Amino acid sequence: MTKYLGINRLSKLFQIIQEAGGLKQTYLKLYRNDDLKIGTLVGIDKYGNKYFENPYYFYGRNRWIEFPQHVGMDYDGSQIPAEWYGWMHYKTDLPPTRDGCRPKYKWIADHSENLSGTKESYMPYSTTPPKVEAWDPKAKK
Amino acid sequence: MSVTMRIFTASRNGKRMFSTTGARMLAAKKPEAKDIVEVPKGYVYVNNKEISMELDAITDRAATTMFFGELFRGFGVTLAHIFKEPATINYPFEKGPLSPRFRGEHALRRYPSGEERCIACKLCEAICPAQAITIEAEERADGSRRTTRYDIDMTKCIYCGFCQEACPVDAIVEGPNFEFSTETHEELLYNKEKLLCNGDKWESEIASNLQADHLYR
Repeated sequence: MTKYLGINRLSKLFQIIQEAGGLKQTYLKLYRNDDLKIGTLVGIDKYGNKYFENPYYFYGRNRWIEFPQHVGMDYDGSQIPAEWYGWMHYKTDLPPTRDGCRPKYKWIADHSENLSGTKESYMPYSTTPPKVEAWDPKAKK
Repeated sequence: MSVTMRIFTASRNGKRMFSTTGARMLAAKKPEAKDIVEVPKGYVYVNNKEISMELDAITDRAATTMFFGELFRGFGVTLAHIFKEPATINYPFEKGPLSPRFRGEHALRRYPSGEERCIACKLCEAICPAQAITIEAEERADGSRRTTRYDIDMTKCIYCGFCQEACPVDAIVEGPNFEFSTETHEELLYNKEKLLCNGDKWESEIASNLQADHLYR
C-alpha cells in the first residue's frame, strides 16, 4: 500500500535530506549537483573527490562523483584522476583502493584538469633547435 | 508504480475499457468504420475508411473534440514523465560506460625505470593516414636512438589507432582521456613534452587498459 501511494518515495526524500544535513544543505547540494541521490561512499581520492555507488539506480547512473567544496562551481569532468577513471567509466568494478594491479611508479605525475583557457594552458613549442640560423655579422667567431 | 502512473494508464486505456463494458451492458453494437469501395473476397482494403455516421459515433467524436480529449491525454503523458526516472546521465557527476580499447588523447609511455619507450623507428609516422605525426631523431649522449621531435597535430588526427598498433615498443598509445577540448587551435598541436606528460599522468589507466585487453592482442 505504501508503495502504491508513493509513500516510500517520501521516506526516501526524508532520508536524502537527513543524509545531506538539513534543508539548506540539501538545497545547496541540489543546486551544485543538479541531482539528489544517496549511496555508499566507495572512496575518496587525494584531490578530495568523493565517489559513490548505489545499484538502485540504473546502469550509467549508479556511480557518481561529488567534487570537493573548494572547487565551487568550477567542477569539470576532467578533474577525475586516472586511477578512478576506469571505475567511473564502468571499465572495472574494482575501485583503485582495492585494485593491486595498478602500477605505482615514482615518475607518475599528479593529475591536472583540462587547463585550456587558463594561464597554465599548454602552448606548443619546438623541441629541436632551428634548422636555419641567421648570420649575425657582429658575432665573433 | 506511483499514483500518477496509474492515472495515466487508466486515462490511456479508459476509453477502450469503458466503451467495451458500456457496449456490453447496453447490448448495443459499436458503430464501425466501413470500406469506401466494394472489396473482392481475399483482398484487404488498406486506404482510409469511411467514418461512421451513426448518432453514437458522431456524439463520441463531438465529445472528444469538445472536451479536448486528446489534449488531456497528452497532458497525462507529460505529467507521468515528470515522475519517471530520467533516461539521461548527469555529466560530469555521472559518466557513461567506456571500453578499454577506447581511442582518445595520445600519450607517450615510459618503461617502469622512467626511461622513455620511443626509439624513433617512425613506423607510426609512416602508417598515419592523416599524416599528423612528425618525428625527428638524433643520437643521444649515451648513444641510444631517441626522438628530438615528436609532434602530433591533434586536429589532423582521425583517431584510427594505427599508430599504437604500428608501435613495436608500445610507446605511443591512444589513452582513455577524451576531455581534452581546447579553446584555441594551437593548444592541440602537441609536442613531445606534452605527450610524455600525458603518459605520466595517465599511466595507471593506460596500463590497466592494456592489461584488460592483453588476451585479444
